[in-house]
Amino acid sequence: MALSRPRPNMGSRQSLVRKSLLTIAMATGAAVVLAGCAPGSTATAPSANPEDISTELTTEDVELTIADETGFPVTQKLADEFTKQHPNITFKINLDTFANLAANAPKLMASDDAPDLIRLPTIGDTVKDGLIANLDPYYDAYGWDTWAASQLAPLRVDENGVRGSGSLYQVGLGYSITGIFMNNKLAEQAGIDAPPETLGELEEDFAKAKAAGLLPLMAGDKDGVVNFAIQAAMNQFADKSEFASWIFTEEGATYNTPGNVQGAEMIREWADAGYFPSDINTIDYATFVSRFQGGEGVFTFNGNWAAADTQAKMGDDVSFFLVPPVEADGGHVAMGAANSFSVPAKSAHINEIMYFLNWIHTDDAARQIVVDVTGAAPGGDPAQALPEVEPGSLIEDALEMSATVGAEDGQLDFMSNATAGIYAGSIIPESQLLVTGKITGKEFVEAVQKFYEQELAG
Amino acid sequence: MTTSNRSASSLVDASASALRATATDDSSAVARPSRRGAGGSKAWWAARRGWLFVIPALVAYIMFVVYPLFLGVQYSFYKWNGVGPAEFIGVANYLRVFTDPDLLASIGNAFILIAFFTIIPVSSGLMLATLIRSIKPGPFSSASQAILFLPQIIPLAAAGIAWSWMYAQTGAVNQILTLFGLGGITRPWLGDFQTALPAVGLIGSWVLTGLCTVLFLTGISKIDSALFEAARLDGAGWFREFISVTVPGVRQEIAVLTTITIIAALSSFDIIYTTTLGGPGRSTLVPGISIYRIGFTQSDVGLASAFGIVLMILVLACVLPIQRLSRERD
Amino acid sequence: MIVNRSEAIIGRIVLVLVLILTLIPLANMASAALQPAGENPVGLTWPSDPQWGNFVEAFQTGHVVELMTSSAFIVLGVVPISLLFGTLAGYALGNLRVPGARFLLIFFLVGLTIPFEALMIPLYYEMQGFGLLNTQWAVILPLIGLYMPFSVVWMRAHFVNMPRELSEAARVDGATTLQEFRRIQIPLAVPPLSALAILLFLWTWNQFLLPVVLISDPLKRTVAGSLTYFQGQYSTSIPLLNAGALIIIAPAIIVFLIFQRQFIKALLQGAVKG
Repeated sequence: MALSRPRPNMGSRQSLVRKSLLTIAMATGAAVVLAGCAPGSTATAPSANPEDISTELTTEDVELTIADETGFPVTQKLADEFTKQHPNITFKINLDTFANLAANAPKLMASDDAPDLIRLPTIGDTVKDGLIANLDPYYDAYGWDTWAASQLAPLRVDENGVRGSGSLYQVGLGYSITGIFMNNKLAEQAGIDAPPETLGELEEDFAKAKAAGLLPLMAGDKDGVVNFAIQAAMNQFADKSEFASWIFTEEGATYNTPGNVQGAEMIREWADAGYFPSDINTIDYATFVSRFQGGEGVFTFNGNWAAADTQAKMGDDVSFFLVPPVEADGGHVAMGAANSFSVPAKSAHINEIMYFLNWIHTDDAARQIVVDVTGAAPGGDPAQALPEVEPGSLIEDALEMSATVGAEDGQLDFMSNATAGIYAGSIIPESQLLVTGKITGKEFVEAVQKFYEQELAG
Repeated sequence: MTTSNRSASSLVDASASALRATATDDSSAVARPSRRGAGGSKAWWAARRGWLFVIPALVAYIMFVVYPLFLGVQYSFYKWNGVGPAEFIGVANYLRVFTDPDLLASIGNAFILIAFFTIIPVSSGLMLATLIRSIKPGPFSSASQAILFLPQIIPLAAAGIAWSWMYAQTGAVNQILTLFGLGGITRPWLGDFQTALPAVGLIGSWVLTGLCTVLFLTGISKIDSALFEAARLDGAGWFREFISVTVPGVRQEIAVLTTITIIAALSSFDIIYTTTLGGPGRSTLVPGISIYRIGFTQSDVGLASAFGIVLMILVLACVLPIQRLSRERD
Repeated sequence: MIVNRSEAIIGRIVLVLVLILTLIPLANMASAALQPAGENPVGLTWPSDPQWGNFVEAFQTGHVVELMTSSAFIVLGVVPISLLFGTLAGYALGNLRVPGARFLLIFFLVGLTIPFEALMIPLYYEMQGFGLLNTQWAVILPLIGLYMPFSVVWMRAHFVNMPRELSEAARVDGATTLQEFRRIQIPLAVPPLSALAILLFLWTWNQFLLPVVLISDPLKRTVAGSLTYFQGQYSTSIPLLNAGALIIIAPAIIVFLIFQRQFIKALLQGAVKG
């Protein structure tokens, strides 16, 4: 075909080549020029210190926007109660999945559409970038020094970006506690008559369940939730303050400690012994909860937030207790964290939202809602009366567990909150390998530490 | 944009004639004087009018495709978390893309997906189209076409949800296997390290086969029926006919579909996001998911942009040779 | 096409098998959607007590009305403008004399191969710069741009086959280019235009990643972009999730079934012309 064309064909092909080269040259030139200009702002981060503090609630009509996680109705209930008590304040609550929230949060706060309150499980760079408000002035104004300091400690960040101390940047809508739920009926079948008191007894119970043909441990790892169990195991062997300093990204802290390795190895043993469901990596949070509630699995690791729903589905056939320590009289260590929220620095209604947050911790109706809906400890002043709970209920257990751990100072934050990317980028994929026996506990710990270092350096 | 949705039978002709046009003088660069009139200003206007018609599309394209592309190139040379100040680091991000085993593994996974997104749909599509053609046109053949095309109508995210459910331990796939006495190999397909990627790939095959079938149908209908008759009269069976008449006749369509499906495989996101999120482990991690995670969860905008640009180059590297090949045979 | 008996029979059998395979996932969703909402459904069964109420519940608690309204708004913003721009440009590149047409065509063609992942992060910042984040316009404008390569090339393919004599005749009669375009070319371009309209509608309705990245309020995304929103919302109900997903798919399937005749016809027409 080409041969039968007259010469102009060759010419136009040449000019085509010339034109393409020209385009490429221009494009490269433009790219180089653009590369010379830096994106983003070179201005210093805006001050995140609120001015004009007031503890009086405005009488004007205000609509407060809250960005929250799906599956946690407590925020809406609190908002409704607050509007009942203060009709001039209304709320708009935007719900998004945990994953989407984590991905969008920094940019949402930096935008002009920043909400007045945002669920923020991991602080990441938000303090450094001046995205969230410093709450110290309100701490002083409202007199929060009567509150349990240890509950607020993980919500503080110092000038170096290390958590655990410094200015207050977050508040919790309830303070959670994790433990083990046990299906009493199935336990009886397996010959287990009481919750285990030591870790060794727990392992024996797993073996009994397996021998009785039951699934010992209902867990899922499609979205990483088996890490409730993994960290629970590590908690019992690791040095608590070393672990905490790693979670708080203190200088020189490492994940690769003998205690953590021992905990991870134990999980590997459980995997090899067949204590986990065979399809664990296809089970996400919602699925493992509903399967346990449906009667599959003798034990499951979860937190107080599941207590109300589990009680509704299983009635008296379920118990909730703290993860047993290694020794019978050893102190309990459990993950627990504030259901943490931050106030974006760009919010136009900081005074109002802080009033709301203080109200949640101090108003009796609010505290009752927190306990009833989530089973979490309401926080606030320990001297203030605790809300009423139904005797013998899982929620009563949850509150007791919180109190015990508080008294024994055994509270640890979730390891997945250490950095913004470590959960999705490392802990989840590596745990999926661990619980199916593909890597050893040591390899798990090393991989996570490597990612941690890379992310903090970057 | 989910390129796997590009149902483009005329795209075959579009790109074929477009490529032909670039090699000939049909849409000439030279503005010839208008035959009608006084030459001069009318001619000038005639030539420029064409540009006026093109400008809206051009502006939209440049503003929302070309400009962001350049921005992406710009970001790729910086270390930036999207909010604070940026730090120029040259090609460090690109080096990271080529040396990080996890990122390389995701590229490898994307290439493996080509077997499922391209090879299976294109070959099955061709055979199904031949089958449908061999049936008299009527309600059965139109119904077949409509049904086969259904997976293209469904949002990929919904397809992911439907299939996750089917692949579960207690799902339909295992049910059917047990029915056929293959109960021994049942497993949670998306949770098993060996089978997760092929399982996800098969979802892509399901989605794309219909597209290929419909396009091949239109392609086959273009083939002169005399060729088919000649083959049959020569004593050829269906296979011979297939190889010597059908396949050569749809060369253009094969090229276009291969291009589209390879792009879909390399830039896949929706299906994996709603089924495995890259797991278990990293066995189904693909560049699309990785870029999203790096850019949004880890807030490493520079690295994510660099990876995006690398992905684009990979796509071009795979697609250009195909266009070349189809052009030469022309 | 000549086929012998046995080929025809085997052919039909294979075809029917493939059709069944194609429909199984949809049937599965339907069966899961009809099972009692509180429990975990098991596999593919026709439930003994179909829970049609699940659809109602999914419709209400899934904010389906808001989502569909939002999707419809986005579709109305994207499709007409994309059709217009694409047709204008396609006409110009295919029928008018445009200096640099070859270059422009290649310019657009290259756009077809750009994976969205290379653009999603810069698009975020660009939309932020325009102050459009978290509005539907953040999705509408980029989609128009993203659809340009395909639309232009597709419409050009049609116009290139329009004989020049047609336009010459109109011009001789004194019509301006614009008039000729409106009165003559557009009516002739209805088949490929309608095919393009359907395609753009489907692609917009099913857009997933763009809305998730650019719109933080799940209620302002497209229906597909909000499927993950369903996944968190129904924390313990697989049947409701499937019911919700089926509701979302329904409009697209309905549109397709209504227009599939037109659609296939347009595809065939486009092909035969080539």
